[in-house]
Amino acid sequence: MKELKFLIAIWQTNLQSAMEYRAAFLTQVIGMIVNNFIYFAIWIIFFNKFKDVRGWGVNDMYVTFGVLASSFGLVSLLFGNTFTLSDIIAKGRLDYYLSLPRPVLLHTVASRTIASGMGDFLYGFISYCLSGYFTWDGLARFALAALLAATVFGAFLILTQSLAFWFGSMSNFSGLMLNAMLTFGIYPITLFDSYAKLILFTIIPAALMGAVPAEFIRAFTWEVLGQLLLGAIGFLALAIFVFHKGLRRYESGSAIQIEI
Amino acid sequence: MNKILHPFYNIMTSIEVTNLQKTFQTKRKAAGLSGSLRALIKPEYSSVEAVHSLSFKMEAGELLGFIGPNGAGKSTTIKMLTGILHPSSGAAKVLGYIPWIDRQKLAYHIGTVFGQRPQLWYHLPAMDTFMLFGKIYELDDRETKKRIEYLTEAFEIGDLLDVPVRKLSLGQRMRCEVAASLLHRPKLLLLDEPSIGLDVVAKQHIRDAIRRMNQEEGVGVLLTSHDAGDLEALCKRVIIVNHGQIVYEDKVSNLKRNFLTTKLVQVRYALEVSKDFSINGVETLKVGHYGVKLKFDTTKTPVDSVISHLSEAGDIMDITISDPPLEEVISKIYQEANA
Repeated sequence: MKELKFLIAIWQTNLQSAMEYRAAFLTQVIGMIVNNFIYFAIWIIFFNKFKDVRGWGVNDMYVTFGVLASSFGLVSLLFGNTFTLSDIIAKGRLDYYLSLPRPVLLHTVASRTIASGMGDFLYGFISYCLSGYFTWDGLARFALAALLAATVFGAFLILTQSLAFWFGSMSNFSGLMLNAMLTFGIYPITLFDSYAKLILFTIIPAALMGAVPAEFIRAFTWEVLGQLLLGAIGFLALAIFVFHKGLRRYESGSAIQIEI
Repeated sequence: MNKILHPFYNIMTSIEVTNLQKTFQTKRKAAGLSGSLRALIKPEYSSVEAVHSLSFKMEAGELLGFIGPNGAGKSTTIKMLTGILHPSSGAAKVLGYIPWIDRQKLAYHIGTVFGQRPQLWYHLPAMDTFMLFGKIYELDDRETKKRIEYLTEAFEIGDLLDVPVRKLSLGQRMRCEVAASLLHRPKLLLLDEPSIGLDVVAKQHIRDAIRRMNQEEGVGVLLTSHDAGDLEALCKRVIIVNHGQIVYEDKVSNLKRNFLTTKLVQVRYALEVSKDFSINGVETLKVGHYGVKLKFDTTKTPVDSVISHLSEAGDIMDITISDPPLEEVISKIYQEANA
């Protein structure tokens, strides 16, 4: 409860900071919604030609891309520093968070809002509404699935970026892994054989960000919910463990910082 | 529970450091592309001892200066004392807590300012950061506002609180930074180069406010600085470090007494003088038709003998006797430690 109050305070401050530049804020939000529609047009053209790929049609793509966009947006919006954690570690900018009486990982990742994340988050819901699968309880499942997928995604980012404690700046590697997550997350899961699926549930858990949440949204089953919950809790616990293991190796730095 | 001071906290001692050591592993690479390729295949590392077997104590409410040249280990020490860095070996207690183990609990009772690392949100007015800090330190809004009022008056920042931080001058920003670090009524303030880059007036503002907080609230201050002026204006005791080790530790008054034995004398005469000013043990720095500037060591040449020699030359219109700048003294201590 104490940490939730703190999180709300920091999110409020993030939002105030993002809205200091009103035009930039609105442009990013609207721009990202438009951007996602343009990107998705490729899939509409694709499915117009091929109708379905191993049982996946354009409606499934609407749901998969929707939940992927909303979970990506949620992480960008609420935990924006997960994308730059490696740089923060390598440049010694954890000092600020370590000097305050709050859990350092939570404080660090929650201290930035990427305004375009709002566009991604909203677009995901629009995409679900357009999918043809819309029901009210489906919408509630969409919200829960987006939350769990966001947990997996955020935890995966923290995991890859925390490698900076051992190997110095890992921003290029993290960028690569981020792209892998998004690329594999959008592909129909039926395309992959069992070995590839194993990778997509473990090393690059893209299936837990796209295909599995999409399956849960289309139809409720305890089994799929269990998969999602297990994935979210497991990856989050692993991310927290690796970050704190690395924190003991933190070396700070003497770079002059101009702003936060 | 978090806000209660550690039960074993000795009320008289704020900081107790014993044989504290910090070694960093640094990657070595020869210059050029071939060096980069070699480092890629077979990286070489060397150990750099930033802090070497450091031991000292700081009393509660004390104003302690912690000074040294670049790379002396000052910031590394402060970072270990706040729990930011884990030491390689040794022990430390700050307000009864082991900083790197009890970091969160300790943070409720200390304030930190890193002159090169701003804590105020850049795009927002300082007031927003103050209110956020109130939430971070779990103060209720009424208590936070009351405290802000007090700090506003102490640091003279009333006109600055509603201006986005990016629009403040460095001096104005630093006043807000130090005020923010005092919002939660810390028992101890750790200041790492708070006056870096500030002009004389801004430095004076910050020094006055810190002195006031020390007198009114009994806040202990551990201050690292390159500026000997900070030391003279604020600190009662000084620790000088070089290469991660203490090279001098004493009261500032003793530092002056022991090392400020050289005096500079400047005299102006009413009429032109042509006397030879050379005296044994006295160095003539400058001589003119109407005046002279001399330097001498008071342990070798008594002050009165120099004055009487100068007064024999003619009617003195003006005389100034001064100490050399403290910076010169500190530099001498560094050189002696290096020798």
